[in-house]
Amino acid sequence: MSLSRSPSPQPSGGWHSPGLASSQYDGIASSASPSPRHFESDYMNGGAGSSGSNVTWASAQARSANVKHSQSQGFFRHFRRLSSSLPRFSHQSSTHYAEKEKLGRGRLNADNGGNLRNSVRMIGRLVRRSRLRSALILFFLLFLAVFYATPVRALYRRTSFLGGGSRFVVILAANLGGGVMEWKGPREWAIERDSVKNKKKYVKRWGYELEIVDMSIKKKYTHEWRESWEKVDTIRNAMRKYPHAEWFWWLDLNTFIMEPTYSLQSHIFDSLSSTTYRDINLYNPLNITHPLNTSYLDPISLSPTGDDNPSSINLIVPQDCSGFNLGSFFVRRSVWSDRIMDLWWDPVMYEQKHMEWEHKEQDSLEYLYVNQPWVRPHVAFIPQRKVNSFPPGACGDAGDDPKIHYQEQDRDFLVNMAGCEWGRDCWGEMYSYRQLSNRLNRNWWQKFKDGVSETWDGLWKKDEEITEEDVGSDQDKLS
Amino acid sequence: MHFAFPPRKSSHPPPYAVRSSRSSPLLRRQRLRNWGLLATLAVFTIFLLSRYSGTGGSEKIPSGTPPCVIVTIIDQEAPSAFIRAIKDNRNDYAARHGYGTFFPNVTDYNLDDAPFTWSKVPAMRHAMTLFPYSTYFFYLTSFALIMNPSISIEAHIMDRERLETTMLVEKPVVPPDSIIKTFPNIRGDKIDFVLTQDREGLSQDSFVIRRGEWAKYFLDAWFDPLYRSYNFQKAERHALEHIVQWHGTILAKLALVPQRILNSYLRDPSGGTEGVYAEGDFVVNFFGCDLAGDRNCEEEMTPMITRWREIRDRRGY
Repeated sequence: MSLSRSPSPQPSGGWHSPGLASSQYDGIASSASPSPRHFESDYMNGGAGSSGSNVTWASAQARSANVKHSQSQGFFRHFRRLSSSLPRFSHQSSTHYAEKEKLGRGRLNADNGGNLRNSVRMIGRLVRRSRLRSALILFFLLFLAVFYATPVRALYRRTSFLGGGSRFVVILAANLGGGVMEWKGPREWAIERDSVKNKKKYVKRWGYELEIVDMSIKKKYTHEWRESWEKVDTIRNAMRKYPHAEWFWWLDLNTFIMEPTYSLQSHIFDSLSSTTYRDINLYNPLNITHPLNTSYLDPISLSPTGDDNPSSINLIVPQDCSGFNLGSFFVRRSVWSDRIMDLWWDPVMYEQKHMEWEHKEQDSLEYLYVNQPWVRPHVAFIPQRKVNSFPPGACGDAGDDPKIHYQEQDRDFLVNMAGCEWGRDCWGEMYSYRQLSNRLNRNWWQKFKDGVSETWDGLWKKDEEITEEDVGSDQDKLS
Repeated sequence: MHFAFPPRKSSHPPPYAVRSSRSSPLLRRQRLRNWGLLATLAVFTIFLLSRYSGTGGSEKIPSGTPPCVIVTIIDQEAPSAFIRAIKDNRNDYAARHGYGTFFPNVTDYNLDDAPFTWSKVPAMRHAMTLFPYSTYFFYLTSFALIMNPSISIEAHIMDRERLETTMLVEKPVVPPDSIIKTFPNIRGDKIDFVLTQDREGLSQDSFVIRRGEWAKYFLDAWFDPLYRSYNFQKAERHALEHIVQWHGTILAKLALVPQRILNSYLRDPSGGTEGVYAEGDFVVNFFGCDLAGDRNCEEEMTPMITRWREIRDRRGY
């Protein structure tokens, strides 16, 4: 039997036409997609196109399903009873009215007597309709209130052709040096927890992807000469894992996003040509000769700014006081980045330079930038404080370099506590920056509350070392 | 609802008909709503389109651009008659097919004390700068002659289908037993670098590179100062073998073809036979004539130069 449309299951049991059940199964089985259940039921039927009067497996199953179904409907039935007990003002009052309307559709009923009654009725209709309308509006507002802050907005921000959030992947290097080398203490765990939480919140807000990678020194690398050069492998894996993402943002663990309200798009990528610079002479701590003076190269390789088209930027790197800094940098998925990542580690270069290149990938990248002309037109630099502000202690203890150090009044995007593991207090820095970020990003209600409590405190006691104590106690708890 | 019969008209007609426009505020509102929806949709579409207003278009190749450029590096210390013969050989071939030629000097490039054989790498980069729109760049050592001028590079070597039939797949890059082998499934038009292999390894006396971003990358990587200073036993030859074996982005663009397609040896010092020149081959290469002390390239090449002149004149072009 061929059916013009697929038979639909009836809530009262079995299929639409129970007498034809078996032949229907046959029809389904022979057409588009026989699901295993169909096959099974067919099999249980005896497979012989048995007559519909028998108690078949299918019908028994349908009946039991019916029982379950009615049970599960209990709630809704209850609901229906509720609604039926509500006063009805449209149906009952207008039995004759409905008939009348059918007859004199679109016309004012004159035969019903006076204009007054008509207009009263019209007003009533309007009110009813407007009530419906206001209910709709109310519902819509409710919808906004419930969903705007999370799922709908998140969906919009994620979708590649709307907010474009899924084009960005944040790669966070966690568990640095852990694993074989050393056990992590409570402070290390706390740093990791804070840092990860911070990034998770950020990517959730903007719909980005977060890839937390375990950078513990693996067994696999400990006996290899390429120890701890996994940055490239990690980025490659992330590119494989998120095949539709375009930009990959590498972040070291000791970083903190101070301004989660900045999106990467508005902060950097919407105006790539003005937020980044390609002419390294603008800030050149390494004194790299730029542009190259090798006469035989093509004009683009010799131009200080490449082809000046933001779409040819494939790597965005900040520079600190001593050169490139790979604590926070961006790579775009492209053939160019495939090549640079392929060449980044090379055994011959490594063999000759690994004693000199103590910053590993960072030095290797500087080397490639200096020596291989094809690299330059695709690398752009970004002012350090846009994506990688340093705290005091990194690049000078005073912390007053306007190109490098974090400035609270400028609301810098991110702090990178670079080098805090050598003689500085990573956890203390992380904690104070987290507090600062929270304080800077309070909403008006929190500001109001804090204002009240501060004035209250100010009235009663004069010392203002609350925050210091706070830090101290928190640290005591940890250690 | 469908009735068997249309419902009867009212037997009490209304005293006057109502103006149609007044009768349908709902209809009017509907129309308004439709327009509103349409406008919203249009704005949204424009918004979406505005995000994708990228600039496209391929580069324009000016007319008269040679499709292929032949690069041969000249050592100015060689006898001038020999240099003239080599240049004649290339120029004659280029003129037949509308190709360009480029003859830089060995000393033109700063090699940082590396052997002069390295100069082929910057020379190719230089040629790509001088001929920014040509597609193929054919490097041929000065100790080789083009013996069959009727063969074109596009059709004989670089044509997609031709390349797919000639390229050697799953072949160890460095003979006899390198674990790195050429890729089995590359499309011919994805190949940017065609060269041959002799018994000892990759031969760099005769190869073709397609101009593009990859070519820049490849040449710059090959010419890296750390490779030049590394004292590879055979300089740029081993450097090339090194980068091909260690970097997949280079191997993926490379095709090995049988030696006689563009690099027949007059005689193979290592005793190979499959690459030995036979009349009709595209190129004859006097491989090794500049290495061993007792050989003299100019002398060895003289008979073949004479033969080439015969072929050129016999064909009567």
